[in-house]
Amino acid sequence: MRQLTEDETKVFFEKLAKYIGRNIVHLIDRSDETYYFRLHNDKVYYMSEELMKQAISVGRDQLIALGVCFGKFTKSKKFRLHITALDYLAQYAKYKVWIKPNGENTFLYGNNVLKAHLGRITDDTPEHQGVVIYSMSDIPLGFGVTARSTVETRKLQPTDIVAFHQADIGEYLREQDTLF
Amino acid sequence: MEDSTQKSKFKSVTVEKPIPLQYDLAILAGFDTNALDESRLKNDTDNYLEEYTRDGTQLIINQIFNLPIKSSELGVMAELPDLVTVLPREKPLPKPKPPTRWEKFAKVKGVQHRKKSKMAYDEATGEWVPRWGYKGTNDDGANDWLIPVPDNAAKKERITKNEARNRRNVEEAEIASNQSKGLNGVNERSLRRAELQKQIIVSKTATASMGKFDKRLEGEPKLKGVKRKFEPIIGDVKKEKESSLNILNKVVGKKGDIVNVRKAIAKRGQ
Repeated sequence: MRQLTEDETKVFFEKLAKYIGRNIVHLIDRSDETYYFRLHNDKVYYMSEELMKQAISVGRDQLIALGVCFGKFTKSKKFRLHITALDYLAQYAKYKVWIKPNGENTFLYGNNVLKAHLGRITDDTPEHQGVVIYSMSDIPLGFGVTARSTVETRKLQPTDIVAFHQADIGEYLREQDTLF
Repeated sequence: MEDSTQKSKFKSVTVEKPIPLQYDLAILAGFDTNALDESRLKNDTDNYLEEYTRDGTQLIINQIFNLPIKSSELGVMAELPDLVTVLPREKPLPKPKPPTRWEKFAKVKGVQHRKKSKMAYDEATGEWVPRWGYKGTNDDGANDWLIPVPDNAAKKERITKNEARNRRNVEEAEIASNQSKGLNGVNERSLRRAELQKQIIVSKTATASMGKFDKRLEGEPKLKGVKRKFEPIIGDVKKEKESSLNILNKVVGKKGDIVNVRKAIAKRGQ
């Protein structure tokens, strides 16, 4: 476990900012307790100060995971967000997509969001913007990237893709081994 | 009568100016150095400028009609002269090349380069012939009807020697340019030594195992990698927060996306 270097922080924030923009401030500068981002086994964890202090006494090899895993650095040093970060992304998301009940299942199996399944979408969402995907009852299901801007989605065919799948809560089952 | 109507319809082709114009007909330009009539320029601007332009154009056209004329399929053409205006150089002057060893030596010894004429007097025939090349004086019997196969060993040796010298000159020039960049005080020998060491290290990694199983020479320098250094796990809370906020500002921009420009424009358009 260690602090992120400047370069790593930059790459990490760049990815995170695609979904929550400047709201990253609320993660760094919290009013309740001090929270930290720490790197362990190439994964970035978000944890309270108290938890971190306890974890220091655990050896590097013995420590498996702690706090909330936000994602991991790939071998080529890019950052990949994990579904475990969804709680925070959903809380601060700038652009949202709601999908109809009949589309929930296909999305949770890892498919893209089609126009036919689109319930609602935030106004003025640009193209290729990171979005958090909700069910119609406002339960966050995952996140992805828009294929078209809001205006363009209106003209689409029902089978056209509205948002590309990136992560969904089905991964909690599908990828239990590597997720945390 | 016909003459007088033409005169009233068209202005005169001869224009008189106190100071004659300078022309650069290659770019169809004339340069008028005469003073402007200020009172007319102020009171009757449009008419004055129109007249002034007409006069200038007339003068240029007069000049063009004086040029040699050639008729072709496309019509009658005037042949424009070469450009007179001197344009400044686009790129800076090239830097002087660093002197080679020979040039340095020649300077110390005061050796002067004397230019030989291209032609030389051939005493045998009593004629002036080129010093080298076709029908030159130095053909050494190449024009004879029978010549032995030349022994190129000496020439090859000369060439390799010259190439080595050339390489040395290039290296020394590079070192000299390094010194001018502020690496003063380091002599050429030690610089070249360091360069060689670096090259050895690089060449070591050119095996399939990246040099892992290569035999090491005695006294070979050990390769030093860059040691990574990380901040402590629990460091200065304030400092960490500040640095991550700084990075965030760089990523998102200081003002960030407080104002949604797209939305604002859409609102305004409504």
